[in-house]
Amino acid sequence: MAQHAAKGARFQAVTANRLSDGEVVYWAADNRWVEGFADAEIADGADAADALLARAIPADFEAHVLEPYLFEVLEDGAFYKPASVRETIRAAGPTVRLDLGKQAGA
Amino acid sequence: MYRYDEFDHKLVADRVNQFRGQVERRVSGALTEDQFKPLRLMNGVYLQLHAYMLRVAIPYGTLCSAQMRMLAHIARKYDRGYGHFTTRQNIQYNWPALDKIPDLLDELAGVEMHAIQTSGNCIRNVTSDQYAGAIEGEVEDPRIISEIIRQWSTFHPEFTYLPRKFKIAVTGHVNDRAAIKLHDIGLVVKRNNDGDIGYEVHVGGGQGRTPFVAKKMTDFVPKAKLLAYLEAVMRVYNMLGRRDNSYKARIKILVHETGQEEMQRLIEAEFSKIDASQMLTVPQEEIDRISAYFAPPAFQTLAAKSDGFTQAQSQDADFARFVRANVVAHKQAGYAIVNISLKPIGGVPGDATDAQMDVIADLAEKYSLDEVRVTHEQNLVLPHVKLDELKTVYDALAAHDLATANLGLISDQIACPGLDYCNLANARSIPLAQEISERFADLDRQYDIGELKIKISGCINACGHHHVGHIGILGVDKKGTEFYQISLGGAADENAAIGQITGRAFTEEDIVDAIETVVTTYTDLRADGERFIDTYNRLGMAPFKERLYD
Amino acid sequence: MTDYHLVIDGATATESWHYLDDDAPLTDAPSIITLARLQAEADTLKSRSAPLGVILHADGLGKTDHGEDVRALAPYLDRLALVALHFPIYRNGRGYSAARVLRQEFGFTGELRATGDVLYDQWAMMNRCGINAFELAKDISLDTFKTALGELSGAYQPAADQNQGGKKGWRRSRL
Repeated sequence: MAQHAAKGARFQAVTANRLSDGEVVYWAADNRWVEGFADAEIADGADAADALLARAIPADFEAHVLEPYLFEVLEDGAFYKPASVRETIRAAGPTVRLDLGKQAGA
Repeated sequence: MYRYDEFDHKLVADRVNQFRGQVERRVSGALTEDQFKPLRLMNGVYLQLHAYMLRVAIPYGTLCSAQMRMLAHIARKYDRGYGHFTTRQNIQYNWPALDKIPDLLDELAGVEMHAIQTSGNCIRNVTSDQYAGAIEGEVEDPRIISEIIRQWSTFHPEFTYLPRKFKIAVTGHVNDRAAIKLHDIGLVVKRNNDGDIGYEVHVGGGQGRTPFVAKKMTDFVPKAKLLAYLEAVMRVYNMLGRRDNSYKARIKILVHETGQEEMQRLIEAEFSKIDASQMLTVPQEEIDRISAYFAPPAFQTLAAKSDGFTQAQSQDADFARFVRANVVAHKQAGYAIVNISLKPIGGVPGDATDAQMDVIADLAEKYSLDEVRVTHEQNLVLPHVKLDELKTVYDALAAHDLATANLGLISDQIACPGLDYCNLANARSIPLAQEISERFADLDRQYDIGELKIKISGCINACGHHHVGHIGILGVDKKGTEFYQISLGGAADENAAIGQITGRAFTEEDIVDAIETVVTTYTDLRADGERFIDTYNRLGMAPFKERLYD
Repeated sequence: MTDYHLVIDGATATESWHYLDDDAPLTDAPSIITLARLQAEADTLKSRSAPLGVILHADGLGKTDHGEDVRALAPYLDRLALVALHFPIYRNGRGYSAARVLRQEFGFTGELRATGDVLYDQWAMMNRCGINAFELAKDISLDTFKTALGELSGAYQPAADQNQGGKKGWRRSRL
C-alpha cells in the first residue's frame, strides 16, 4: 500500500481514491470518506495516525476506495495543509488547469 | 488505412463485454483491486492522482476524420473537454469514471478503436513514422507490417503476462521519426539485393532508470518470417527475463546482462524452431490483403508548384513562417505534409480540446484525404494537403490556436504529464515546459536558435524522453521539493544517443535560467550552420558545464 | 482431500494424483514429483510402472531468477503422464511459454495442468497455450469456467490449440 508520510511527521490524515470515479477522498471524523481536505480528520502523533488508518480500512474498504494511505499535514494558522507538493496537488487539482479538480469549485 | 472486417469488429466487441464484466466483478467485490489491476491496465485504465486515466491506442499513429471526431466526442461526453496526445501515439483522457469506461469503449469500438494493451506487461501499441505513405524515399509504408504486428500481438496468449511491458516501433525511412532504437524492438524496413522487403531488427532499447540504445540482432528478416522472429524474441524474453526486480525486468536488461552475441544465439535457436514449424509464416494472400489497405490514396495529378501558394506566402509573413517551420515536402507533386503543433506558447504540450479535435477532423476530411497522424513528439499531422489549399488549411488552424510555427524548435518540447496528473511523478513537468516556452516565445529568436529538442520527464521512468533530448530535463524530489537535473546530447533519431547529465540539479526558480545559459553557450560557440546537437557533439560537455556551474 | 476441484478438457474430473514432497517415499499411486527429484532418481524411476508426473516451478525456488527450464524435461517426457506448471503469482507468465514448448516443440500429449495462483481471466489464454487441466477453487462452477473460456470468439495468432484447421501459416481464426 502506498505510504507517503514522512517519518517523524506529527500531523497526518488518510486519503484514497474512490472506486467508482477515482475522485480523491479523505477519511473524516464521522467515519466516512469525504471529498474535501478541509473535512479530513487529522491525527496528532504516530499512534493516533495508526488508529486513524485502521478505522479507515475496515474489512470491506475495497468496495469503496483504492489504496488508502497516511500522509503528512502541517499546521497552517488555524487550519492544516498537506505537507508535500504531491498532496497539495491532489487536494486542489492540476496546477496547470485551475479550472479543473477540487479547486474549480472553490 | 486499415479497416476492420467482421472478425475484427467481433473481437473488439468481445473485449469490451469482457471488460464490462470485469468492472462489474470489481464493483461487486468479486475481484480485489490487486486482481483487477492487471485487467484494467490491459485495457488502458490507470489510477492517477485525481482520477482514473484512460489511454486509447492510435495504432501506428493513423486516424481518419471519423475517429478524430470520436476522440473529440469522448473528451466532451466522458471527460473534461480535452485529451492528451502521448509520446507513443496514444491519447489519454484524465478524468473518466470507471463505471462509464465500458460505455466509452463501446463508442470507441464503433469507429474501430480500442484501449487494448495500452498498459500492462504485454505487447503495447505498435508505433511508427507519422509521415508513412507521404514522405519521399520510403522503402515501404511501415504501417503494413505494423498492422500485421498489431494483429499478431493482440490477445497473444503466451505474451500477456511478460516480465514487464514491451514496445515495438517501425520505421520505413532512413530518417527515423519513431525513435525505434529506444524501443524493446525497433524495426527498420529494408530491401535486400534481390529486391525483397525485410526488416533489420534492433532489440533492447529503452529509457527509464537504465537507458540503453537497442542492439542490432540481425540485418534482415524476410517479411513473411518476421512474426516467427518476433515470437522467438518474445519467448526468449518471457522465459529468461528477470521477474525478481521490476527495474531490471525490461528486455534491455536481459540483453545487457546476457550480451549481444549470446542473445543473438538464443533468438536464432528459438527462431529456427518456430520458422521450421511454418506456423507463423505470413501467407502472401494475407500480406496482400493488409497491404491493399495502405495503397496510396487517390492523389490528383497536380503541378509541382502552386502560384496561389507562392503568392500567399509573399502576402502573409505568418503563413510564410508556418510553411518554413511546419510544412514538409510530400512525395506526390502538388501536395505537402502539414504539421500541427500542439505546443502553443505557454500551452500544455500534447493537449487538444474537443473543439480543436473537431476542427482537425473537418480539415482532414476536406483537405487531407481523410487522414490525420499523431507523432511521438506529441504533435499532429495532416499528411496529404494540396499546396493550392494550404493557405485555407492554415487559416482554419490559426483560428483555433493550432498554427504555432515552431516544429522542431525550442518551444516544441516533449513533456510528460508530471506531478500535475501522474501518480508516479516526483516533480511537475508541464509548468516548466510552459515557462521555457514563454522565455523563448519570440519566434525569430527560436529560428535563430534552430533545431533544438527539449524533453522533460517528471520522474526517472522517462515518459518525457529526457534521456534523448538534445536538452533533457528530469524532475527529482528532494524532501518534498521539486528539483530539475539537466542532460545534454541525447538524440532519438537514426543517430540515437543517451544524453549526459551536466551536474547537480537546479531549483524550480533557477532551472529556466540554466536552460537559457545552455542555449546562449551554444549560440556563442556554434560554427556556421551548426545545430545545437552538432555543436555539443563537437565540443562536448565542458563549455556548457563551465557556464552552468562556475 | 484437496482444496480445489479439477477440470480436465472442459469437464469435471476426479483427482487421482498426489503432489509428493521430496522426502516422502514413492508409492504406487500416481505421483507428481519435483524436477530435482526426477533428475536425481531417474534410474530408479525407470523400474516404476505407476503413472508419473512432474511439477515445474517458474520462480526457481531460489536457484535461479529464470525458474526451472522446461527443456530440462525433454529426456523424461516419454515417461511422464502429467506436467504441472506452477504459477507462483498470476503475474509470472513463464508457464505460458513452457506450455507451448511442451505441446508444440516436444509434442507432449499428456495432462498439462496449471497450479498455483491462477485467475479467472487467465484460463482462456492458458487453454490456448495447451494447458488442459485446471485446479479450480471450490466455489467456482464448471459453467463459470466455460463462460471464461468463451469470452473471446477469435484469435489473431495460432497457438497450441490447433485452431488452424490443419493449415500452416499465420492467420486469424475463430475459436
